[in-house]
Amino acid sequence: MLARTVTHALVGLYPRRVEVEAHLQRGAPAFTIVGLADRACQEAKHRVRSGIASAELEWPRSRLTVNLAPAGLRKEGSGFDVPIALAVLAASGQLPADALGGHAAIGELALDGRLRPVPGALVAAEGARQAGLGRVVCPAESGAEVALAGVEPVPVPHLAEAVAYLRGLRDPPPAHGPPEPTEQPSGGPDLRDVRGQERARRALEIAAAGGHNLLLAGPPGTGKTMLARRLPGILPVLDDEGALEVTRIHSVAGVLPPGAGLVRLPPFRAPHHSASTAAIVGGGGGSGGPHVGEATLAHRGVLFLDELPEFARAALESLRQPLEDGVVTVVRVAGRATFPARFQLVATMNLCPCGARGVPGAACACSAQRLQHHRERLSRALLDRFDLALTVPRSRGEELAAPPGEASEPVRDRVEAARSRLAIAAPSLSCAADDLLTRAVERLPLSGRGRARVATVAATVAALSASDTVAVEHLAEALSYRPPQELTA
Amino acid sequence: MSELAVAMFAAETDAHLLAAPRNRRFETFVRSFDEAASLRRLAELGIRWVARRDGGYPVRLRSIHDPPVGLFVRGAGSLDLLARPCVAIVGARACSPYGSEVASMLGSRLASAGVVVISGLARGVDGAAHRGALGTGITVAVLGCGIDRDYPRAHASLAAEIAATGLLVSEYAPGVEPAPWRFPARNRIVAGLADATVVVEARARSGALITADLALEEGREVLAVPGEITSHLSAGSNALLRLGATPATTASDVLEALGIEPAAASVASGDAPAGLSGTAEVVARVVADAASSVDEIIRRTGLGASEVSGALAELELLGLASEAEGVYRGVMRPA
Repeated sequence: MLARTVTHALVGLYPRRVEVEAHLQRGAPAFTIVGLADRACQEAKHRVRSGIASAELEWPRSRLTVNLAPAGLRKEGSGFDVPIALAVLAASGQLPADALGGHAAIGELALDGRLRPVPGALVAAEGARQAGLGRVVCPAESGAEVALAGVEPVPVPHLAEAVAYLRGLRDPPPAHGPPEPTEQPSGGPDLRDVRGQERARRALEIAAAGGHNLLLAGPPGTGKTMLARRLPGILPVLDDEGALEVTRIHSVAGVLPPGAGLVRLPPFRAPHHSASTAAIVGGGGGSGGPHVGEATLAHRGVLFLDELPEFARAALESLRQPLEDGVVTVVRVAGRATFPARFQLVATMNLCPCGARGVPGAACACSAQRLQHHRERLSRALLDRFDLALTVPRSRGEELAAPPGEASEPVRDRVEAARSRLAIAAPSLSCAADDLLTRAVERLPLSGRGRARVATVAATVAALSASDTVAVEHLAEALSYRPPQELTA
Repeated sequence: MSELAVAMFAAETDAHLLAAPRNRRFETFVRSFDEAASLRRLAELGIRWVARRDGGYPVRLRSIHDPPVGLFVRGAGSLDLLARPCVAIVGARACSPYGSEVASMLGSRLASAGVVVISGLARGVDGAAHRGALGTGITVAVLGCGIDRDYPRAHASLAAEIAATGLLVSEYAPGVEPAPWRFPARNRIVAGLADATVVVEARARSGALITADLALEEGREVLAVPGEITSHLSAGSNALLRLGATPATTASDVLEALGIEPAAASVASGDAPAGLSGTAEVVARVVADAASSVDEIIRRTGLGASEVSGALAELELLGLASEAEGVYRGVMRPA
């Protein structure tokens, strides 16, 4: 007896059709899985066997071979459990021969027969849609994700229910559509909590409006991190296409909360400074090829690097490609993958290793060598990628006693207005502004890239003030966010 | 007896020698020492040697109580530079933005008045003084290591720039490693070469104060730049002022101490130049009064963050304000 189910393996961010064939033949009872299955996948044997027993179904007493085709593609993970179980049941005649037609399946089996969600359900479901399969048997938690792909989910909590459905004993369980996004999803912490810091708030608003990279320098305890964490809250929510793309990435990486629908909020990723290069841009992983990194998880959102100079230099330099091209290309023995990584980089740093620099009245205990070392950790090429840079000095007591600042919502409204203005046409430089820029290039340490960057930021500033041309005051403000001299010296 | 032999012997034995030692080892060394060959090798490295008894040896340096046996010299400048009016600018390596700006301003103004600016090529105040002077005149760096070394390495390109028009000098032969005890010894040369020493930012008990003490011992003029009384970085320089050092608030103060008539100020001081926008003028007045962060300026003036940022960029471009560590200050004008 031979039976076949269809599922989809993940290759990078894309689905690859995998046929699960189960073949029963006479002989001593045995169970073999072939087709380049990794360890987690080999262990499916035990889960499938226990799961079938727990669902009060029969384990065939004959020689059983499961093949995962194409045999040349490495399969990893536990998502093959459910397709294997269904193929075995169909091969042993416990499911009608044609029941599996038009269906794909995905999911991990628990020993008691329950279905557990696995990463990448959305991508697998998109694979099913492309393959012309209308329904996907999946764990109950993955129903919403599968529905996003435009195929009908068959969300089942238990293997027994999947079998009951395939035997035609019951209707497919009602598919819960993805929870409708509420009017304006809350974007985490609110800007209202930041007292004072007028200049930094303004820089944050410009960064949000133009999607610019932002560097906040200053002594510890000045609210740099607090400000940065409030950036997603003033960014416009993702459009449909962007939301689907982000959801797909997060689904593959397994960071999507179970039962969640589309990711509407721009992601905010804050890897710790001990993160390796592979953790930041992707790579590593085992047999299944490179995994996505933080840069890709932050796609269409914010990548936040707290204490920038503490990151490994190699990890920081690896960010230059995504900052330039919006993608990362990872090459490993197991394969080569290109992942999207168009994120907005926000970073913070202290002015010196001891942290006393920039604090009025405090004595910096750093030696000249340590200071030099601290500054040399950041290459000029990387510093050059920050469109806006500013030093956040310590707030005085009077500022902390000030009333709460403006909330995130009005700021987000201004950001959205500026974005739609920029989407139509970026404001062009007026003659006077162009003169000023030329004078600035002569006087200030400003590279060619720096000149272009200042002009872009100035266009954002003009868009924020609803102006069609970049006037002198817009350009002057953009000029004031250059990296502080002490960082570039 | 060859003074070069003493310098070379000192390098070989890692010692500090002001005269020929009386011991066997030196006698053996001298017997095998070939001065002509040694000078040839130095010349190949582009290094000149001037012994204490040579006519070219700087007069001021010869008059200190422990002058080096000779100086190794490299750079395009002539040795006569050291006979011109010279001012040493010294201070903390880990200086504040204020210290670095003052050092660079004094370096530039003094050099433009024809004074040779002497310093120690160290990080911080030394480097800023050299850089300031390079733009307008001649500067001389005194090294605390072998004459062929660029130490600190971060200042290698600065050393090359200094050598292009000025001089690098050291009492140590090529190959001598920098060592902590050599820097105070270097400071006596810095003080000894100069008519006057200006201390810009020095902590209590710092190397810059050693230089000032050495200058005082030799009867040279010592000036100090007043700093904030709350800053540890100014504790040493403010203490000097209390002991009677001349306050250096402008380059003219230093020139006056040398007896040089300062040239007429090239830019009229006082009012801000015409053509400033109204906002920029208001902001200029605030930063001229006290160094302030942008948020402080916003609160003082009641202007918005974007207006103040724009005004500050305008002032920076005109050279009327400068930023460091998030704090803007008015730039000092020649007086």
